[in-house]
Amino acid sequence: MSGHGADVKNSIWMRAVLFAGGFLTFGIIAFSILGIALAGPAHEEYLSAVDEYHHAEDDYHEAIVTGHSIEGDHYDPLYIAKEDAHHHEVEAHLSYLNWKVSGNTILVMSFIFASFIGIGGIINSLQPDAEHSDDEHEHHGSASPIIFTFGIMLFMMGFPGFANTITELLTGTDAVLGEMAIGLIGLLVIIIGVGNWWREDLPFNGHGEQIATSDPFEGEHIRKAGVWVFIMSEIMIFATFFSSYLRMRTGWCTKWAFDNGLENGKPVEGCVSQSQIDLFNAGEHVTGDVVMTASDYLRPGGAAGTGDFWTMLPGGINTFALIISSYTIVIALKTAKAHDWSRPDNFITKFIPQPIMKVVFPDQKKTVRNFLFATLMLGSLFIVLKLVEWSHLVAEGFTVSTSQAGSIFYIATGAHGLHVFIGLLIMLYLVFKADTVGYDEENAQGIEYFGLYWHFVDLAWVIIFPAFYLY
Amino acid sequence: MGDHEVIGLEKWLKDNTGMDIYFWNFLVLMFFTLFEIGAVFFDKIPGTDVEISLMMVWGILIVVGIIKGYGIGAYFMHLKGDPSIYFRTAMFPVLFVLLMIFGIGLSNPDGVDGLPSWCTPNWDYATRR
Repeated sequence: MSGHGADVKNSIWMRAVLFAGGFLTFGIIAFSILGIALAGPAHEEYLSAVDEYHHAEDDYHEAIVTGHSIEGDHYDPLYIAKEDAHHHEVEAHLSYLNWKVSGNTILVMSFIFASFIGIGGIINSLQPDAEHSDDEHEHHGSASPIIFTFGIMLFMMGFPGFANTITELLTGTDAVLGEMAIGLIGLLVIIIGVGNWWREDLPFNGHGEQIATSDPFEGEHIRKAGVWVFIMSEIMIFATFFSSYLRMRTGWCTKWAFDNGLENGKPVEGCVSQSQIDLFNAGEHVTGDVVMTASDYLRPGGAAGTGDFWTMLPGGINTFALIISSYTIVIALKTAKAHDWSRPDNFITKFIPQPIMKVVFPDQKKTVRNFLFATLMLGSLFIVLKLVEWSHLVAEGFTVSTSQAGSIFYIATGAHGLHVFIGLLIMLYLVFKADTVGYDEENAQGIEYFGLYWHFVDLAWVIIFPAFYLY
Repeated sequence: MGDHEVIGLEKWLKDNTGMDIYFWNFLVLMFFTLFEIGAVFFDKIPGTDVEISLMMVWGILIVVGIIKGYGIGAYFMHLKGDPSIYFRTAMFPVLFVLLMIFGIGLSNPDGVDGLPSWCTPNWDYATRR
C-alpha cells in the first residue's frame, strides 16, 4: 500500500478541493430534489390545508352562533369536519417539514463538509511539495489555537442569531439568513484554524507512535491513552446531563406519574390530589396538569396523543444507524490492519452478487475508504433525521423554551448531535486520507483512535435514546 | 480495537461460523435495540394478553442498556483484550457518575425549592419553576 511516501504532492491536496466540489454538488442536487421539488408541492398542500381548516373552523363557529350546532358536542358533523381538517393540516405541515428540513440540512452539511475539506486542501496545496514532508516533526509555535479560539468566540457571539435562524429553518418559516452571519463567520474561522493545524501538525502519511515512558500508561501509545482520558471527561459531561434530567424527571408530574398515583390511590404532592383519586375511583375520567416530555410526543400512548410508529421511526432509524456505523468503522479498521487481505468469503457474502461484492470490496485500500465513507453517510443520516424530528417537535410546540423538559431534551440530544457532527468532520479527514494515501498496518491507528470516540458517541446514545425517547 | 489474541468465545465463533466476534456483537446489539423499541411500542407482549407495565419497560430499558453498553465497551472499544489500564481509565469516572446519579439524579426531591435561604440570597427562582 502507499502509506509510506515521504511527502504528499499538491495534486493530492487538490483532490481535497475536488472532494469539496463533490459534496457541494451533492448538497445542491439533494436540496433541489428534497427542499424544492418535493417541499414545494408539500408546502402548497400545507397552505391549502390551513385554508380548509380555517373554513371548517369558521363554519363551525357560525353554526354555533346561529344555533345549528351546540358548543362542546363532539358528535356534531361540523365539529368532526373541523377536527379532521385540523388533523389534515398538522399532517400536511409535518410532511412539508420532512422534505424542507432534510433538504436544508443536507445543503448546510454539504456546505460545511465542502468548506472543511476544501479549505484544508487549499491551505495545504499552497505549500511547496517539499515542505509536506512529515518525517522531520519538531515542536514549534502555532497560531492555530488562537485562530480556533477566536472562531469559537465569534461563533458564540453570533449563536443567538444562528440558533434563531436554525429554528426558523426548522419550522419552515421565512428565515433571515443574515442573522446567521456572525455565527457562520465564526464557523469559517474555526475551519481555517483546524485547516492550519492540519497543515502544521497532522502527519498525513503517519509515522511511529510515541510510547509513554512513565506510569500509569508506560509502554502504551500516548495518543490512545489521550483518547481514553478524553472519553473519560466526556463520560462526566454526559453524566451531568443525565443526572440533571433524572433529577427533574423524578420531580415532574408526568402522565405516567399521574396515572400511577390514581391507580395506586395515593396522593402525590403537586401531582395527584385525593379528590382526583376519589373521582377516578368513582369511574370518572380524570385529567391532570401533567408535564409533557419529548417521549410524550414521540412514543405511542404518550400524553400528547401524537405518537405512533412514524414518530418513533426517526429515533429508531438513528439508533440502528449509529450501531451499523460502529460496525462499519470496525470493518474499516480490520481491513486496514489485515496483513494479507482478501475479499471476505463467508455464509453472508455467498448471498451477495459478485458485482456488488466487487464494488464494496474492490481492494484493500478502497475497501477501507468505502467503509469509512459508509460510516460518514450513516452519521450524516443521523443528523438529518435528528433535525427532521426536532422540527416536528418544534412544530408541535415542544421547544427549548417551553419547559424544563424541552430545555434538558434539546441540550442533551443537541450536545450528543454536536458530538456526532464533530465526529463527521474528523471522519472526512479519514475518508480523504483513505482515498489518497491509504491506510495499512503501520498507520491505521488514526481509525482505531477515532473509532473509540465514535463508539463512545454510540454508547452515549444507548443511554440517551431510552431515557429521552422511550421512557 | 487493537491487536489481540483471539481466544475463548471469540475463537469458537470464528472457527465455527467463519464470522468474527465483531459481527456477532453487532447482531446482538441490533437485536436488543429492536427489543428495546418493541417494549415501548407494544402495549401487550405480542401474542399474549400480558400488559407491558411501566416497571417492565423500566426493567427492559435498564437491562438492555447494560447489555448494549457491555457489547460496545467490551468488544467494539476493545476493553476486553486491551491492557487493563484502559479499562481502569474507563472506570475512573464511575465514582463521579454514581455520585451525580444518586446524589443529584435520584435524591434531593425538593431541588432548588429546598435550598436554605443563605444559598439563594435575593433570588426568587427558588420559589418558582
